Amino acid sequence: MAEFKELTYENLQVGEEFFSGEHVVTPEDIETYAFAVDDHHPWFFDDSPFGGPIAHPTLLGNQALRLRSTKYMVRGGLHAKQEFEFLQPIRPGMRVRTKGKLTDKYERRGKQYMVTEFVTIDEHGTELVRGKFTQMLFK
Amino acid sequence: MGSTTGKTIEVGQELPRLVKEISQRQIDAYSGVRPHSIHTDEAWARKKGFSGTLVQGMMSTAYISELMIHLLGKGFVEGGKMSVAFIKPVCAGDRLTVGGVVKDKVVEEEGTRLVVEVWCENQSGEKVTVGTASGLLH
Repeated sequence: MAEFKELTYENLQVGEEFFSGEHVVTPEDIETYAFAVDDHHPWFFDDSPFGGPIAHPTLLGNQALRLRSTKYMVRGGLHAKQEFEFLQPIRPGMRVRTKGKLTDKYERRGKQYMVTEFVTIDEHGTELVRGKFTQMLFK
Repeated sequence: MGSTTGKTIEVGQELPRLVKEISQRQIDAYSGVRPHSIHTDEAWARKKGFSGTLVQGMMSTAYISELMIHLLGKGFVEGGKMSVAFIKPVCAGDRLTVGGVVKDKVVEEEGTRLVVEVWCENQSGEKVTVGTASGLLH
């Protein structure tokens, strides 16, 4: 059983890895996302140049952003920076998961930050999205 | 919809802007309603020093992605890149304008990459998200 430590700057270890659970992308996920960001592009609901509907490229951003919650009790924080590389379209029915690695932590102007690199893959191991994000920790 | 303007667009050209008025219901749908969340628990957000619930910075990446898909279509969904910083908080009820200016065209093995300076600004004209996004011209 996983043991959850409190998310503190001291507890974070550069090089540690995070693994999300699996998630099946559903048409409901895509519809909810479209409502949330007010983007109802027809490719998300009908056909697309990729053959069949696709999801918004940033649909799985929160799966990556919440990786640290698989190991830590998180008191929250602020998202400071985000990088994405969109490699393949995300499609409904895909079974996706994200793995990440803490690549840096630093303090600047009295605030503490953690940097995570991630990749999201489908059930075949095909890379869909890569990226990196920086989060400020709440003290 | 898709890459209708990408081939003809020139460096220095500004992209058609998007406007997003962000409701608490949309934030709830995006972030998931949870206690002790600065996005969906107003009392908690105020305790953390904010004037109200905050929009997740990640929502700005979706808006920029929409802007880039309008420009490049397939070439952003497969081959797109983005690098942004969230420099000011965005609150429920804020109205963001999402914009971009083409900065460069770079020849790569897969094709020509269009590099766009992108931003989101609030109703007071303050930049809240800044960075670059790019994708391939097909």
